[in-house]
Amino acid sequence: MLTLFVVMISAYVLGALAALLSGRSAVGRALVAAGAAFGSIAGLALGLFVIASGIPLTFTSTQLLPITGGALRLDGLGAFFLVVVGLVGCATAIYAFGYSAQYAGRYSLRLVGVMFNLLLLALSLQVMADNALTFLILWEAMSLTAYCLVLTEHDRSGTARAGVWYLAMTHAGFVALIAMFLILSGADLTSSFGSMRAGAALLSPASRNAAFLLAIFGFGTKSGIIPLHVWLPMAHPVAPSHVSAILSGVVIKMGIYGLLRVLLDLMGGGPAWWGGIVLGAGAVSALLGVLYALMEHDLKRLLAYHSVENIGIILIGVGAGLIFHSYGLMPLAALGFISGLYHTVNHATFKGLLFLGAGSVLHATGTRNMEEMGGLIKRMPWTSLFFLIGSAAISALPPLNGFASEWLVFQTLLGGSNIPTPEVAVVMPLAVGMLALTSGLAAACFVKAFGITFLAIPRSPEAEHARESPRSMVAGMAILALACVALGLAPFAVVPRIGRVLAGLGGLPDTHSAFTLNLSLVTPNNFASMSPTLVALGLLVLLGLVPVVMLVFRVNRRLRASDSWGCGRVGQTPRMEYTATSFAEPLRRVFAELYRPTKELSIDFHPDSKYFVQSIEYRSEITPWFEKALYRPLLGFISLLAKLTRRLQSGSVHIYLFYIFFALLILLLIARWS
Amino acid sequence: MNTSLFAQISALGSSLALLAGIALLWRRSLDAYIKAFKWQSMVLSAMFVVVGYAGSDRQLYAMAAFFFVLKVVVIPHYLRRLEERVGAERESQPYINIATSLIISGLLVLLAYAITRPLVAVSQLPTRGSLPLAMGLIFVGLFVVVTRRKALTQVVGFLVLENGIALLAMLGTYGIPLIIELGVFLDVLMGFLAMQVFVYHIHGTFESMDVEQLNRLKH
Amino acid sequence: MKGYLLEIGQTLIALVLAPGLVGLVRWCKARLQGRRGAPPWLVYYDLRKLFSKEVVISKNASWIFRFTPYLVFSTTVAVTLLIPMVAAPLPFDRIGDLLLVVYLLLLGTFFLALAGLDPGTAFGGMGASREMTIAAIAEPTIALSIFGLAVGAGSTNLGRIVAETLAHPSAAISPGHLLGFAALFTVMLAETGRLPVDNPSTHLELTMIHEAMVLEYSGRYLALIEWASAVRLLIFFSLLANMFAPWGVATKLTPVALGIAAVALVTKLAALGVVVALLETRIAKLRLFRVPELLAVSFVLALLAVTSSFLLR
Repeated sequence: MLTLFVVMISAYVLGALAALLSGRSAVGRALVAAGAAFGSIAGLALGLFVIASGIPLTFTSTQLLPITGGALRLDGLGAFFLVVVGLVGCATAIYAFGYSAQYAGRYSLRLVGVMFNLLLLALSLQVMADNALTFLILWEAMSLTAYCLVLTEHDRSGTARAGVWYLAMTHAGFVALIAMFLILSGADLTSSFGSMRAGAALLSPASRNAAFLLAIFGFGTKSGIIPLHVWLPMAHPVAPSHVSAILSGVVIKMGIYGLLRVLLDLMGGGPAWWGGIVLGAGAVSALLGVLYALMEHDLKRLLAYHSVENIGIILIGVGAGLIFHSYGLMPLAALGFISGLYHTVNHATFKGLLFLGAGSVLHATGTRNMEEMGGLIKRMPWTSLFFLIGSAAISALPPLNGFASEWLVFQTLLGGSNIPTPEVAVVMPLAVGMLALTSGLAAACFVKAFGITFLAIPRSPEAEHARESPRSMVAGMAILALACVALGLAPFAVVPRIGRVLAGLGGLPDTHSAFTLNLSLVTPNNFASMSPTLVALGLLVLLGLVPVVMLVFRVNRRLRASDSWGCGRVGQTPRMEYTATSFAEPLRRVFAELYRPTKELSIDFHPDSKYFVQSIEYRSEITPWFEKALYRPLLGFISLLAKLTRRLQSGSVHIYLFYIFFALLILLLIARWS
Repeated sequence: MNTSLFAQISALGSSLALLAGIALLWRRSLDAYIKAFKWQSMVLSAMFVVVGYAGSDRQLYAMAAFFFVLKVVVIPHYLRRLEERVGAERESQPYINIATSLIISGLLVLLAYAITRPLVAVSQLPTRGSLPLAMGLIFVGLFVVVTRRKALTQVVGFLVLENGIALLAMLGTYGIPLIIELGVFLDVLMGFLAMQVFVYHIHGTFESMDVEQLNRLKH
Repeated sequence: MKGYLLEIGQTLIALVLAPGLVGLVRWCKARLQGRRGAPPWLVYYDLRKLFSKEVVISKNASWIFRFTPYLVFSTTVAVTLLIPMVAAPLPFDRIGDLLLVVYLLLLGTFFLALAGLDPGTAFGGMGASREMTIAAIAEPTIALSIFGLAVGAGSTNLGRIVAETLAHPSAAISPGHLLGFAALFTVMLAETGRLPVDNPSTHLELTMIHEAMVLEYSGRYLALIEWASAVRLLIFFSLLANMFAPWGVATKLTPVALGIAAVALVTKLAALGVVVALLETRIAKLRLFRVPELLAVSFVLALLAVTSSFLLR
């Protein structure tokens, strides 16, 4: 195991070094990609090995000599997230080889290569951190490398702004995390998680609650739960697409990892209202995330909002698990956490896939605006097939992986009738309603995303002349598409493993036995059973059978291609097509009270007669009003503070030297009398 | 009558009454409002009879008859006349749109469940399961009054609210003494007549039944 | 073995009965409106005619367009294998539950909407957009109805729900059950494209939803889609009938019980068909933007159903 660990680290480091030395040549790009890919594969293998064997990987202090104060330990939960990192990392690394070619000469390939490898390294080590100090340092390393990657295309409009928002929000969260760990560890950040676990039980309820709230804030900003998500739809789309895949697929999942590690593992669960808050935040994020995604025509922003939605779904599972945990309903609690974790890995695969697909489209057409796409299915067959698989998976359509995990989340919520207090139990049907609406809207949104982007006639010359992406990019997508299918067809293999990973955390039992049944996925108490494998098989058989039966009955097999029906008009143009905006229009009207769109309509009439219109300009915008209401006062306050501090900045060197001298004196005085 | 059947019937009756209340939120025309109110009152009179039978309380039969005359015959009749006099105005633009107000009403019923839980927990009545529904009806009536713009629809909302109180009283106590109940009914009638006069005046002054117009009185 | 044969038999019965059911609703409607109406079996002739015609597809269409009819038909048939129509529980009951049924149907709708967008006409786009809107906002009601049923029966597996309701017949008249039925009935109207949500007999562009989406289809593709949508109607009818009033469903696989079950099924389907025909004669189509209000009503009904069955146990 240690070998795998060493291979992983050295591959990432070598990849970063190769980037530093080689610059923009194809060989350099290949070396960078190879470093990241080998590192990820080693990480993946390491994670799988730890999960399979059930033996955590521990390091003695001598093995970590160069890093003083550092402590690493890879247990089941960490290994699970390491698998997520490895899976997405490996696919994106291969994809990056082809994708980053376009950056040569325009942006710094060196920076992208170094930071990409370092980000993956930080992520892989993050899940192994075994004390607060290591955790926090790696957390910061992850944030900063991600920040550099977000800024890659620095000269595009919006990038700088996105970077500032990202940096500000992530550091606000970081501060909360430091405070949380200080509370939990009794102000000794180097004490190991093991001793923290013992100490957390002895804390007063008030400080436990404070730690919980800080954890929600700190990890919530990283995960992008509403209303802490503002940075996410700005930062994820502007990053290079393979980085977007990592950001949306893996980095935001670290928030989930942190929540589980701290709330479940270190603090051993809490009162029911903790779970209630997590569940509520999850449900709101899921619903609002998908509603704002529906209104987007920027393909990558749309996907970014869907990340908010899916984090919400994960948190619904986790929150329900925490609620059940607080009532001691352990099998149901385990089911909740399992559904959350299962959706975590599923979301990592299909969202990674979708971002890679969007990147491939961007690569071919040079635009992220869906209104300028169309007809790409004939020009980019592979990309469109993989994007379709991703779309079906994220829309929770059977038999793909999104369905399997959402089914588990539903089953968890249905267990709500076992909760003894009705005031809490009533939360569950509401969550069911919101989750169902979310998944229905997600299906609508991906009909739009796939249909407008890939189907019908191209809406711009760029889309007309689009070509399929290079093979490495297709391969990267293929890996994740296969993972989507495999994870969807084999929940019977995945779910018990996740159950085993969770066993022992916060007193959860090993639910392994509750889920073993040859091909079905069964919930505890034998509440329901379902087998995506057999359903997929049945669908395949039927799909094959129907044409055969039609052949036997000698159905007319002739087929002719002709013009579309244009109400008598011949010669169809792209202007007659439905657009993304018009597709989403009914839903915009249904949810008008939430969106509060502004409308501007100006019509230019012909000078001679108002019956002839020269041009019509229609502009409609949606600004999330609650963001304004929340963040505007905050930003005002911050800039006020900044104005006040500006008074200190006089520009004179002597004054600055005086500040230093003064600060030194104060520190010495404090040190003397404390 | 066996208690479980009685409980079942009272729950069914209360659900129907609540549904009629919710129907108010979904419909727009005053005609539909009046009809929903009429049906609800009919269900309530029937429930008076059932509760009277189950609790063997003769007075409740009289109450049922009185209730029927007042709320199924007299008040709807006057409401119709009022509508003819001032013209039917549709509730086309309530303060909160219809789909949202329906969902809010669902949440209000959940709230009613939460609020009446201590009551239901200690109660031994066979009708205890229906108490939250009655409370929910009161909330829905209040919600109609708060969110509708037109004076007439607000009046119907008020009447529904009153029905909810009657239902709660009936289920909770099996009917308060007849004389008090009669007093309450007369109050309602008087209140209704007073509102009628107001409605005429609002209409006469503003040529509209939109309560928004009352804002203009400030200036 | 007997069970598996029964499964297949049940599916074949569903496939055969479905066009007749659609024809029956049309015929009843015509009679109620004072027309003579086409005989119920006309739909079979229509299907045969469509199967023998050549297919004309749009030049812009991709493989999605040609694949969709097969997928829609297959998912619908797959669902008929999963739901109890004449007997419960059947061997396939463990493979899928009510949630899977809903999502399998959504899979068909998803691809149908994509196929609507594929030829690039405004009609198809309009139909796809509206269909997905309605499908999305109908989802919460369906989920909550499932919740209500599942909590009552202790499972989301259909066979178990049926068995549970059969074992406790008094539960069938509880408010929770009745409200749940009303909620699911409303959603059924939306999901199968009946009045007042969609008008199945019109091709007027401003009102239609489902028909707009499949406007570009012809020949055998259209036949598959029409057949699938007839089966979809039958699926929702038998779900309504057997979830809420499962009387007659065979619990033992004896010939007598199965015979009774088959008769009961046909009676229930016909009764629901007449009810829908009556309803469609009585009411007018709603404006598209009032449909969410109707679905909100059904959502509230479902919420009340769940609350009463959930909190008052």
